[in-house]
Amino acid sequence: MNYLIIGNSAAGISGAEAIRKVDKTGKITMVSAEGYPPYSRCLLSYYLAGDIEEKKLLFRPEDFYEKNKIEVLLGKKVEKIEPEKKKVILAGKEEIAYDKLLIATGASPKLLNIKGEDRKGVFGLRTVEDVQNILQRLDKVKVAAVLGGGLIGLKAAYGLRKRGLRVKVIIKSNRVLSQMLDERAAAIFRKRIEENGIEVMTGLAAEEILADDGSVKGLKLDNGASVDCQLVVIGKGVTPNIDLVKGTAIKVSRGISVDEKQGTNISDIYAAGDVAETVDIVSGRTTINALWPCAVEQGRIAGYNMALRKSGEKAGEEHKYAGSIGMNSIEFFDLPVISIGITRPGEKGYEEVIRDIPEKGFYRKIVLRDNRIVGAILLGRINPAGVLLSLIRDKVDVSEIKDEIMEETFNYSRVVHLMKEEKISETDRLFNQMVG
Amino acid sequence: MKYLFCNLEKCLGCKSCEIACALEHSRSKDLFQAVEEKPSPRYRLKVEYGKERAFPLACRHCDEPACVVACMSGCLSKDSKTGAVVQDEERCVGCWMCLMVCPYGAVNPDGERKLPLRCDRCREKEEPACVVACPTGALVFMEPEEFKKTVTRNSQPVTKKTS
Ligand SMILES: Cc1cc2nc3c(=O)[nH]c(=O)nc-3n(C[C@H](O)[C@H](O)[C@H](O)COP(=O)(O)OP(=O)(O)OC[C@H]3O[C@@H](n4cnc5c(N)ncnc54)[C@H](O)[C@@H]3O)c2cc1C
Repeated sequence: MNYLIIGNSAAGISGAEAIRKVDKTGKITMVSAEGYPPYSRCLLSYYLAGDIEEKKLLFRPEDFYEKNKIEVLLGKKVEKIEPEKKKVILAGKEEIAYDKLLIATGASPKLLNIKGEDRKGVFGLRTVEDVQNILQRLDKVKVAAVLGGGLIGLKAAYGLRKRGLRVKVIIKSNRVLSQMLDERAAAIFRKRIEENGIEVMTGLAAEEILADDGSVKGLKLDNGASVDCQLVVIGKGVTPNIDLVKGTAIKVSRGISVDEKQGTNISDIYAAGDVAETVDIVSGRTTINALWPCAVEQGRIAGYNMALRKSGEKAGEEHKYAGSIGMNSIEFFDLPVISIGITRPGEKGYEEVIRDIPEKGFYRKIVLRDNRIVGAILLGRINPAGVLLSLIRDKVDVSEIKDEIMEETFNYSRVVHLMKEEKISETDRLFNQMVG
Repeated sequence: MKYLFCNLEKCLGCKSCEIACALEHSRSKDLFQAVEEKPSPRYRLKVEYGKERAFPLACRHCDEPACVVACMSGCLSKDSKTGAVVQDEERCVGCWMCLMVCPYGAVNPDGERKLPLRCDRCREKEEPACVVACPTGALVFMEPEEFKKTVTRNSQPVTKKTS
């Protein structure tokens, strides 16, 4: 068997590991446009901030490929897939044939499409190269502007602030982390980052990036005001890398459409990670939850299913993906916050339970539909986040414990009796003493 | 594989296990010195409370650990030999992704060190410190089959107990 994986990040690596678990001898080839060993994008802001050194970006040991008998081609971009011929074409026209293909090409930062975006000193925060370029430029910079107040924008702002710059975050909506948090949690969070020297400007957008001699010197905002800055980081979300499947029969919606086995509509071609569109457990709709844990899980499922043999041959077990879920965890300046699922229901039919204890820096909210939790925000004391996540995942009726969930000491032992029988493993039965 | 089980009927919620755990993970391993240590020694197993009784909770070293999947620094892995979930504290950046996905809430965040703490079964020790310290013999380190024999057949899920 000849496996080919495009992409060398969360989804690609976990795909390769799963294949190797099932198929010890098949040939695995990985191709990546980036010429870098497997590194975690999620750590880039820590590297930017100087919290970790560059070599800590790697999330697998250096001998990973060798140990797993993987042939790796770094710094090679796949331009096109030819499903009928079962091969891919690299830039420079080199070809690679495959029996089974995993597309794990991830995503790229969205552009703003405003004037001046191509100037020197304008960056995204997606690759190790982005950070290296930003770091190289730092000595020319006093003020940095970050466009976008989502997770990436704020992580960029944090990193730049830690490097001693003046940082201004410009946000179109009326609050920070508007996808993750409600008004109250966002206000608490905003206060904390402002107290630590990051300037936040809401309800504003950049209309143009101004330059002097090709290099950034400021921004023109949509209210007519201008901002002086020598560096701009754009954090406006990501868009899936699907160029290589354009013009093929592989079905694409926003990302590549996959079934619960992570297979595309074309047999022997799978997709996983930020490039793949899966079913969201909470909304029931297909979407891209561009998150590390989702990419790892999807890659793993794809890998297992790719290595699965037809009946008769030695077979592994068929694996199905339960669906993705929007969630994230972030901590700045000693204030941690976790957000899961629907946190700002726009429509009727939802119930919100909130507990806000400002003097303790405690804020917790759950959002329910038909007595089932569909979303949560935990700020300050984040401990039971995972317990809430499993209540959301398993759609457990929590009508009798709504108040308990709001208690600071809420914990797993309070939900054991509500869990669905089939969701509790044999060992857990012993742990929970549910014998007899 | 052996697990850290607790016979809930025997547990009085005295928290000797928490102290033993923190001490075992301190630098000095001496109670009087440990209280002075900075960062403060922290326990990895926590005595949680149900409505009616105590419920010591620690990492269960799952077969398919959600925390390992979610770990974005690569510091968590499942040891194929021992079955334990192991953490390379040097590589951890304190992103709390593992805490976010642990269905048991068994990850204890150390805010001081920005480190998610989980039971490491006292590594090379034959018996974890909490088991040694437990005055009622409620905490045990056993194979599931062995533990099964020791619990009464009519025990109830923890929150249903009313006596
Ligand atoms: C700064 C930052 C912080 C983040 N923080 C978090 C966080 O806290 N929590 C969280 O859950 N997620 C976070 N994320 C998101 C997370 O990093 C992604 O969800 C994850 O990396 C997706 O993995 P992936 O394998 O699908 O794709 P990617 O990581 O995007 O990797 C894509 C791979 O495909 C290769 N590739 C792309 N196109 C081609 C081509 N045509 N030919 C060959 N190779 C190609 C690339 O070189 C790369 O190896 C963060 C991301 C960033 C940038």
